[in-house]
Amino acid sequence: MAHKILLIDDEAGFTQLLKMNLERIGDYEVEMENDSLKALATIRRFQPDVILLDVVMPGLDGGDIQARLQDDSKLSSIPIVMLTALVDSTELSEGAVAQAGSQMILPKPVDLQLLLRVLGEILSKAEE
Amino acid sequence: MGNSSVIESVLDNLPVALFAKEVTDNFRFVVWNKKQEEVTTIPAERALGKNDYDLFSNESADYFRKVDQSVLRRGKATEVPEEIITTENQREVHLRTIKIPVHDQETGRILIVGISEDVSEQVQSRRQLDRLNRHLLRANEELQITQLQLIQAEKLESIGRLAAGVAHEVKNPLGLLLLGVDYLSQGILPDDPNLPTILQQMREAVGRADRIVRGLVDFSSQRALTREPTDLASVIEAVLLLAKHEIVRSNTTVELQIRDGLPLVFLDMSKFEQVLINLVINAIQAMESSESRHLTIHAWEEILSNVSRNEGARTRELFRSGDRVVILEIRDSGPGIAPSDANRLFDPFFTTKATGKGTGLGLSVARRIIELHSGTLSLKNRTDESGAVARIVLPTKIPTSRVSIRSVSVEALKEEASNSVDTKTKKLTS
Ligand SMILES: Nc1ncnc2c1ncn2[C@@H]1O[C@H](COP(=O)(O)OP(=O)(O)O)[C@@H](O)[C@H]1O
Ligand SMILES: [Mg+2]
Repeated sequence: MAHKILLIDDEAGFTQLLKMNLERIGDYEVEMENDSLKALATIRRFQPDVILLDVVMPGLDGGDIQARLQDDSKLSSIPIVMLTALVDSTELSEGAVAQAGSQMILPKPVDLQLLLRVLGEILSKAEE
Repeated sequence: MGNSSVIESVLDNLPVALFAKEVTDNFRFVVWNKKQEEVTTIPAERALGKNDYDLFSNESADYFRKVDQSVLRRGKATEVPEEIITTENQREVHLRTIKIPVHDQETGRILIVGISEDVSEQVQSRRQLDRLNRHLLRANEELQITQLQLIQAEKLESIGRLAAGVAHEVKNPLGLLLLGVDYLSQGILPDDPNLPTILQQMREAVGRADRIVRGLVDFSSQRALTREPTDLASVIEAVLLLAKHEIVRSNTTVELQIRDGLPLVFLDMSKFEQVLINLVINAIQAMESSESRHLTIHAWEEILSNVSRNEGARTRELFRSGDRVVILEIRDSGPGIAPSDANRLFDPFFTTKATGKGTGLGLSVARRIIELHSGTLSLKNRTDESGAVARIVLPTKIPTSRVSIRSVSVEALKEEASNSVDTKTKKLTS
């Protein structure tokens, strides 16, 4: 079965293009949520295998959503990859990729190859 | 006493200088009264029977002759507002002279009668006044230039504050472009249904990045005040784009209430943006520790009815009842203004913020910019709920009488002043 990925980002164009890329390259089922206030409901409904989460958003920001997931025992185990333009890309080393857990941070603009590797690692870990 | 001596003593007692020259006798002087002697320092016995060329320099005499001839041509009394003669003791005398052509029908003689008044003192004081006035004008222009420099310096502050956010806003469309390129690099299939969307998104991304960068460049531009009829809504839009990151990051909601069909206002776009940026950033900073962060930008047109007293002296000077104005208010949901600060908000360097967060120049510069637009700016507490409201009142009619500020350097002004010749009258020497 295809892995389910949820994109939460207030930028519709970004989620749209990322979805197209992911679906073209891998066997993924991708959904998008552009309204941070609806994010939790969408997560509950869609039950994604991994969440790609924007940090700076109007309404709830990435940190808020992550905190709420943490508080919900049914959702706290969903791995999250944070995407942000705030981080200086030099802060993210190859080593960071290895420790892919529930709190992975990737810089924007997104390096698609890097993202695919991270997704691969997270999903294979989850399968174990 | 004979008739002629009566006339002579009348003439000599006149408080004005009087002379007559006989045109038909080679312009020789036939009358030269006491006052004329005093003014010219030439005694009558030396002047009578002589003409201008015998008494004055060639240059002066040429000039007098020219005037005489034009008086004769016109055939009526003519005023020469200012003539300068240099007396024998090297004093410059300024004369206001009326020359009257006289045609004696009986004898056929033609005379020119001149009545002169010594206006040296008036000229002196007028010159002094002119000089003072020029100094004042120059000081005023220099002041305005300095003010523009101050405004620009403050703007650089704002740019610094906005830069990170603007960079962030540019990263987003760049990221989008990259995703588009990634997609297309995997191969372009002509019947791929995603293609139109991807190309459209890429095109929009380029446009967005361009708008943001251009917005910052326009905002940074250092120009003299240049006002153009401007649509207020478009300025507000540009400002919200520049401050977008600050707004989103602070989780502030923005509500726009821009009345449709607002008249164009006569604005310097970049300087007006500076004002709005200052007010918006102030509001965001004020709401930092507030429960809800809500910003309302409201613009409408109004015909002032009774300009109320508590609007303050500034408003009363600028606006009168019946004036058509555009009012723009920025309301926040912050804590508002402490009564003890209310009178100092617009003082330069007054700030309640930590170093690095505020310089205290924002409001004073903003008010100055609005004043350059013949408008008013105030900041008060909201009356409906907690928070502050910044209010800008702008005239909608284009002022015609105001001095425009030109982009001239102080040097150029100084040069201009030293080159300008201060009298239009002809300088004569005898
Ligand atoms: N919207 C607002 N709400 C409350 N106080 C404000 C607001 N705007 C400005 N102020 C007060 O006015 C002071 C001066 O503002 P300003 O001249 O912009 O300088 P700065 O922002 O650098 O402090 C601020 O430090 C703050 O105390
Ligand atoms: Mg400020």
